[in-house]
Amino acid sequence: MNLLSEPVGVSHYMIVGAVMFVAGVVCMASKRNLLGVLMGIELVLNGANVNFVAFSSRFLQSEEGRSLGLDGQLIAVFVIVLAAAEAAVALAITLNFYNNYGTVDVDRASELKG
Amino acid sequence: MEPINWHTFFFLLFSLLAVVFAVAVVVASNVVRMAFYLIMSLGAAAGLFFLAGADFVGAMQLMIYVGGTLVLLIFGVMLTAQGPFISMKTRGGDWILAALLAGILLALLIPAAFSVPAWRNRATPEYLAGVRERPATSAPLAMGLVGARVDRLAEADANRREGMAGYLLPFEIVSVHLLVVLVGAAYLARTKRRATAERRLL
Amino acid sequence: MNEQTLSNLLPVLLGAAWLLPLASFAVVVLVGPRLGKAGLLAGHVATGAILGSAVLSLLALGAWLYVFGFTSGQAAHHGGAAGEHVQQEAEHNAAARGRADASHGEGGDAIADAPEAAAPAVAAADGSTLSEPVRAGKRRARPAPMVSLPPPVKHAFTDDWYTLAEFGSLRVTISYYIDALTVVMFVMVSVIATCIHFYSIGYMHEELHDVTDHEVTLSDGSYLHRRGRFHRFFQYLSLFCFSMLGLVVAGNIFMVFVFWELVGICSYFLIGFYIERRSATKAANKAFIVNRVGDFGFIIGLMALWSSLGTFAFGDVPGQGPGIFSQVRNPQGEPPHALAAPTGMVLASAQERVAEIVRDHFNVPDVDPQSAWSEAVARSGGWRAEGLGYGLLVLAGLGIFCGCVGKSAQFPLHVWLPDAMEGPTPVSALVHSATMVAAGVYLGARFFPVFTPEVLLVIAYVGAITLLLAATIAITAVDIKRVLAYSTVSQLGYMMLSLGVGGWLAGVFHLITHAFFKSLLFLGSGSVIHACHTNDMTRMGGLRRKMPWTAYTMLVGCLAIIGAGIPFLIGLSGYYSKDAILAQVLSFRGVNMFHGNILFAVAAGGAALTAFYMFRLWYLTFAGEPRDEHIYEHAHESPQIMYVPLVILAGAAVVAGWPILGLTDLLEQARPLGDVGRGVMWASLAYPHEHASHAASIHVPATLAAAATALGGFLLATLFYGLRWLNPNEVRQQFPAVYRWLWNKWYFDEFYDLVFVRPVHFVAALAARFDRRWIDGLIDSLARWVRGVSILDDVLDRYLVDGAVNLTADWFWSLGRGLRNVQTGRLRQYVMLIVVGAVALTFLLEAFVSLP
Repeated sequence: MNLLSEPVGVSHYMIVGAVMFVAGVVCMASKRNLLGVLMGIELVLNGANVNFVAFSSRFLQSEEGRSLGLDGQLIAVFVIVLAAAEAAVALAITLNFYNNYGTVDVDRASELKG
Repeated sequence: MEPINWHTFFFLLFSLLAVVFAVAVVVASNVVRMAFYLIMSLGAAAGLFFLAGADFVGAMQLMIYVGGTLVLLIFGVMLTAQGPFISMKTRGGDWILAALLAGILLALLIPAAFSVPAWRNRATPEYLAGVRERPATSAPLAMGLVGARVDRLAEADANRREGMAGYLLPFEIVSVHLLVVLVGAAYLARTKRRATAERRLL
Repeated sequence: MNEQTLSNLLPVLLGAAWLLPLASFAVVVLVGPRLGKAGLLAGHVATGAILGSAVLSLLALGAWLYVFGFTSGQAAHHGGAAGEHVQQEAEHNAAARGRADASHGEGGDAIADAPEAAAPAVAAADGSTLSEPVRAGKRRARPAPMVSLPPPVKHAFTDDWYTLAEFGSLRVTISYYIDALTVVMFVMVSVIATCIHFYSIGYMHEELHDVTDHEVTLSDGSYLHRRGRFHRFFQYLSLFCFSMLGLVVAGNIFMVFVFWELVGICSYFLIGFYIERRSATKAANKAFIVNRVGDFGFIIGLMALWSSLGTFAFGDVPGQGPGIFSQVRNPQGEPPHALAAPTGMVLASAQERVAEIVRDHFNVPDVDPQSAWSEAVARSGGWRAEGLGYGLLVLAGLGIFCGCVGKSAQFPLHVWLPDAMEGPTPVSALVHSATMVAAGVYLGARFFPVFTPEVLLVIAYVGAITLLLAATIAITAVDIKRVLAYSTVSQLGYMMLSLGVGGWLAGVFHLITHAFFKSLLFLGSGSVIHACHTNDMTRMGGLRRKMPWTAYTMLVGCLAIIGAGIPFLIGLSGYYSKDAILAQVLSFRGVNMFHGNILFAVAAGGAALTAFYMFRLWYLTFAGEPRDEHIYEHAHESPQIMYVPLVILAGAAVVAGWPILGLTDLLEQARPLGDVGRGVMWASLAYPHEHASHAASIHVPATLAAAATALGGFLLATLFYGLRWLNPNEVRQQFPAVYRWLWNKWYFDEFYDLVFVRPVHFVAALAARFDRRWIDGLIDSLARWVRGVSILDDVLDRYLVDGAVNLTADWFWSLGRGLRNVQTGRLRQYVMLIVVGAVALTFLLEAFVSLP
């Protein structure tokens, strides 16, 4: 089978990353639950991470020296760390929001309406 | 029948899992299920990382996301998951808008993925045979984080070698950032009993 | 004590005497109304200050006498037999004639007949000496015997107190010039002012409480009721005394001018003291404006002096070059102190030639720039001989004299003084008889060395006209103060006449004596007015029984003013001073027969008129039967504080002229150095030395003439008003034209009204009409035009500019309102917008930026 015997390239990874990214964005845009929005953010970050890792991989290239090398992985590490930090803060905000409003519905948080 | 390229096979497996569960996160309306699907999706992404040779990043993905962030997330779900909020339906209009948005974004991103010829290139078996034996990435990554790029010592191109940078300063910034964020998160999430008491006094 | 000590002491004494009234003025201005009850203490403050000034002045006089005694080097030099004077005089004339010949050549014959014509009058002394100069007319005068005598000296101290400003060579300073005249003037002013201050405390007591002025009727028919102004009166008096003393002590002509004007403004204040009375304000304005006319000439003279001589100072201030006097009369000249156009004036007149010299020097390189100046100065002697610069000197003298004319109320500016009687009587006494009007004569005496013979002749004629004019008007006046005012004008005319005929000493002497008896007369008249509440002599009569002190002190004053005395034996003060004037006129007649005849006739006639109107006044007021019983019933003697000054002044009026007191000797010390000399423009004009009038040949006729005229006037007045043998009304009806002419004061006011006031009113009306029709019309049309433009502007501004701004603002406002709707606050919408934005950006990038 052609699909299974052919090696994969960066483009394939990027499609996966794009789908995860879009899924995250849609999640952010459509979920009323604040936690759902946070999960969308995680998905967006992961989609990006997939791309970074793909660019850094030597196995997805046709010749030596064309990959991003460890730089991509390092950035992926940073993204993960920042995602963790963001998750911590976002969760704290969520809890505060919940404490103050008694709900996690983002549509209720519209005090900044012009 | 050509022999199965296992690398491709596992790529397809993990990518399918990651994509399917990611979509499931979007589609699901129960927040607990969303959390579960997210774990699955991120775990599959970790598998993709392993496949790409990023063993350390994959391990980090599993440990921090699956083992840390998502546990945190689930804590949040549990703390806030009371009757009406476990399942919050998205209205139909929002779905249509979101789908439209998703279509546009995908229409933008997927052609972009194939727009650069180098990205379409695939590794030849001969090439892959040459790079089969590979060192673990954790030690070079750690050295890169403290500023020494041992992975690029053999870089032939002088310009590229000089363009390389250690990541000590971002590393430090990120670590301090993390500390601050954790302190701030702890401050934000603490119980407000004292604050309300003070407000009442006032 | 020696002269050095005196030079340090006098400025301090007189400066303190000068500034005391200023201090009093300041005190009264600041706290006057609160001093005592209704300001009574203000009067005491002012009186104390002027008393202090009087004491200091007397101390200064004592110090002066202690050091210099009564005689001076000058007096000693000229002392001796009368014949010797004439001898020297003749030598002077010869020398002067020699100079005149040198410049004019043919002048000798023209002037030769003047001494010959004068011979009968002077021949009694020494006829042969008199004819000598006539023969010597065409040759150089031989050296005069007087050269062997010690040079004349004049004791005068001058220095700066304070330099106000320096503009290049011009120094504006507060300086003093103190000689015997200054000291005597200080004593005279301060003593009389002291008497008048005391008198005023009594006279002005009505002002201590609220006053109802019966001469001011308000619109509702009632009389004006106002608060008393006792303190203000003394405030003005103090300021006046300060100004007058400053005028006397001033060491430069600029300071003189400043105090001159201060005196004028004080006079203005005091004449207009009853400001609610229309007549008083009009009189004050008249006095001030008429004085301005004279001051205009004064400024011209002042500028002529300063611009050509470069200094304001009278004397030689140490370290600052020669003063005016030294420049006009060079002490090193030949003969010393002879009048000559100063170098500055010569250069000013010869400016074209100076410019030529400067041009010549400018064209020659390597020449010292100063050399042009020194050459011009060197040549100035020759130019002076051509007569250059002399005109400027005459102009300066006439200008200064114009100021004197205004201040001393001389013809034709005499019209203000009688009107000035609107002020309170003590003011009339102090300001308008004794001191301020004397300032003109004082200035004339001070500037005597600067006056050329031509100017002096003008002065003499002005004085003569004034004295005759005023005396005739005084005959018909019935207002007691106006009679005295015209008498003052007349006596001032005498002083001017005396100065004009070269009688410096006689003029100044008469100034001093006149101050005493005229202030006495005015204070007496004030006492009468105080008792009768009227000025009209026709309603008085017989008052001597009611107020003996006033009556008999005034009799003394009248006797003094007419120069009563036993000829050659003794007399009142006026006897000596008037005699001296007549003698000087007679002496002048000796060398200038034509002018001398006229002037002597006027002077002698004036003396008779003086006697007549003064005794007319006395008889009408004090003698006979009361003409108005009501007034007579209410008349009473004035309080002691008023008649004691009268007695003191009467005593002074009697003795002031006595030779034994040495007033003339003292004044002699202040005589300006040098002789008047001969006229340059008017070569026949010659001036005898004043000492020539002491010659018996002159003195005896003069004394007899004075006594005869005075006696004649007195007898005539007695016939008319004392014994009533002659009826003045009949005379009046016999000569109605003359009477009307005199009654209307020679129609001077009407004449001025016709010549000056009416044309000015006419021109002013024309100007006003032009102004109203054309200028105002132009301005109005401009204003209308501007208004129209501004309305247009307003419309443009409101609708175009504001409209544009408001439209923009409205745009942004609605834009903001629209954008406000975008800000929904809904998180998910924001996320979508972010995505849409990102996509849009990507498309934009693809469309407009060519990616590599």
